[in-house]
Amino acid sequence: MIRFEQATVTYPGGVTAMREVDLEIGDGEFVVIVGLSGAGKSTLIRAINGLVPLTSGKLDVNGYDVPSLSRKGRRALRAEVGMIFQGFNLVDRTTVLNNVLMGRLHTTPTWRTLIAKYRDDDIQIAARALDRVGILDRAYVRASNLSGGQRQRVGIARALAQEPNIILADEPVASLDPPTSHVVMKYLQQICRELGITTIVNLHFLDLATQYADRIIGLRDGRLVFDGPGSDADEQTFRDIYGRSLTADDTMHKQAAL
Amino acid sequence: MTAVEPPVGAPTLQLPEKPKPSLFMAGLWAVVIVFTVLCARRVGFSFAGIIEDLQRPNPVLDGLYNTRWGEMFSERSRRAFIETLQLAVMGTAAGVLVALPFALSTTRVGNPYPIPRVILRSISNVIRAIPDLLWAGLFVLGVGIGALPGLLALFFFSLAVMVKLTADTLDGIDMGPVEAAEAAGASHAQMLRTAVVPQILPAFSSYALYDFELNLRASAVLGLVGAGGIGNRLDFFRNRGQWDKLWGLVFMFFLVVMIVEWVSVRIRRKLV
Amino acid sequence: MSATDTRPETRLELPSKARDTLRTILSTVFVVLLGWSLITVEIKWSRLIEAPADMYRLFKVMFGDLPWDRTGEMAGLMWDSIAMAWIGTLIAAVFAIPMSFLAAENLVGRPIAWVTRQIFNILRAVPEVILALLFIPVFGLSPMAGVLAIGVGSIGSLGKLFYEIIENIQREPIEAADAVGASGVQRMRWGVLPQVAPELTSFLLYRFEINIRASSVLGIVGAGGIGGSLADAIRFKEYGQAGLALIVVIVGTIAVDTISGAVRRRIVAGPKGLAIPDEADIIVPMV
Repeated sequence: MIRFEQATVTYPGGVTAMREVDLEIGDGEFVVIVGLSGAGKSTLIRAINGLVPLTSGKLDVNGYDVPSLSRKGRRALRAEVGMIFQGFNLVDRTTVLNNVLMGRLHTTPTWRTLIAKYRDDDIQIAARALDRVGILDRAYVRASNLSGGQRQRVGIARALAQEPNIILADEPVASLDPPTSHVVMKYLQQICRELGITTIVNLHFLDLATQYADRIIGLRDGRLVFDGPGSDADEQTFRDIYGRSLTADDTMHKQAAL
Repeated sequence: MTAVEPPVGAPTLQLPEKPKPSLFMAGLWAVVIVFTVLCARRVGFSFAGIIEDLQRPNPVLDGLYNTRWGEMFSERSRRAFIETLQLAVMGTAAGVLVALPFALSTTRVGNPYPIPRVILRSISNVIRAIPDLLWAGLFVLGVGIGALPGLLALFFFSLAVMVKLTADTLDGIDMGPVEAAEAAGASHAQMLRTAVVPQILPAFSSYALYDFELNLRASAVLGLVGAGGIGNRLDFFRNRGQWDKLWGLVFMFFLVVMIVEWVSVRIRRKLV
Repeated sequence: MSATDTRPETRLELPSKARDTLRTILSTVFVVLLGWSLITVEIKWSRLIEAPADMYRLFKVMFGDLPWDRTGEMAGLMWDSIAMAWIGTLIAAVFAIPMSFLAAENLVGRPIAWVTRQIFNILRAVPEVILALLFIPVFGLSPMAGVLAIGVGSIGSLGKLFYEIIENIQREPIEAADAVGASGVQRMRWGVLPQVAPELTSFLLYRFEINIRASSVLGIVGAGGIGGSLADAIRFKEYGQAGLALIVVIVGTIAVDTISGAVRRRIVAGPKGLAIPDEADIIVPMV
């Protein structure tokens, strides 16, 4: 469970990216966060696993009191929270399997990491994660040789290999074309439903949001301005969230049609 | 080339104001010229002097014409050669091993603590400011003559070369995988091993080969201060005026260096 | 805590792993070489253990009692070394620049380029100290021997760096020069030179920084500069003198590095500021 209480984040430069947010997300939910660039989506997601520290307010994730965590505590929290990135963040020069094994680091002793000799069980977990996103056959392929969609699937596998109970996805499909974006979103949805993993996704394409979200959260200028089921969100809702009328860039399929 | 004549009755055109040449560049040129002149005088540079010297009878050139190719196969020279090679290999190996953690410790991604980082970077700069032969001289003074001071000198020389190159490469890596490792709950060491090292490994290997080439060249002369290798023999021949044998050794050395370089270039192409 | 997989606990078969032959061969060769070296080299390894203590003792003696009154004299010698390095580098540039045009395949065609490159390779292979050894009987125990040793030694290096830059330039200005009927030399002057001048200068300064290190030690074989003072100190066991000379060399080298580095950055980047062509850029593509 994730609970923000009056959470605020102000960056060293003076920019307040998140203002007094109160938010509760239950286990197993599939939540999509929408908002303009700079509205605070990235900040909110990164606050959950402690990559971005809160300036004030409370944050409780899986029973961890995030602001008061030590370095070790943060590592323990992050072990339970998987993350997927817009730029995939893979190590291009090494194999797919090695990338996914990064998800097992939190239980792998340092000496094994240094000589790259992972436990058999861990390799099996990684293999299963790869199989779940359908690219087990690519296990020894160099990551740079994959397509964008495949690389994001590796990213998902890496997060899955952690055996997390929360998955955070920061604009996971922004660099992908429409058909591939649907494939990735479907995987995320499937994983959430079958494995009961709480999934939080930042999206800036509104049609994708309405199609896949159980619950939509709208941020504007760092404030929570909408929180409701995906079915409740229509064009007016989004106009309120964005504070302006919608353009073709806001929907994936209209943008693709341009 | 004839100038273009303006048509009769046309007003003369005013060109826009020519931009002033950069003050910086002008100043720089002035400094450079003055500096060069001062240096030339300090050094006693003179063309005439050079030509004169070249025309005098010359034991070195005579030695060249009579190069003793057989010198390559003499017992002592062969052993000195092998020692040169060995020192280069060991010096590179030791230097490369220590250079990676050292370089990491001088960069932000490897060492999040600013003060130790600055200290280590300064140490690295001082190490880089000392030439290889000087290191050898120091170690000869400290531990005596032989191959050991040569090895130690090459070790520090390798550090000098590798740490700077590696640190510069580290400063340019993609931080994405680093963030991914942190988000997965990896420790600092784990993050470095899985997200940073794979990114720089090809460049690092290339630097290591380059370092070996440099060490080979350096280990040839370390013997001049008593630190092992063919330098000893070179000094020996020079003191006795045996230029023919000296040239023999030099050419042999040439050959080895060219071969090593040829191989090294090919390997480095495949690595990167 | 963890999301348990609802699938049966079967062992998954991973695809077969490709063998990286080149890397395995290289590593084996290297390990064999290293092993052989360690075993057969004539070193008493016990001396290695004593080395840190020895060096500590040495430093105490060297820096314990520095002859500060000789600082002026040493600075003068360092100045000699710097001057040697600078003139040597310039001499090398005077020869290397025109020769590098002859080594650029996009300007003169393959056969000529190949020959010139081989000349560069031969010149690069010889350490300056050996050149100094050979030049001293000819030019005497003077800085001139050192200057020429550095000069000749750097032609190969500079030439190689230079022709690589030249080969990477763009075609258009050269074509433009050809189109207006420029001769061979004019084409170089107007089509090629403006593009490469900043980078050439940068590499020249980079070479100067390297040559400072060489010139500091050439004195050890008698070619002038601070190396001579060091050699004397070592020979007569004047530890204080050696210590002071060492300090002077370090300070002088770092000073030259700093100034040269700053000028290089400014020249290549212009007042705006770009990435510096640095050793990292030079070395790795040097294949």
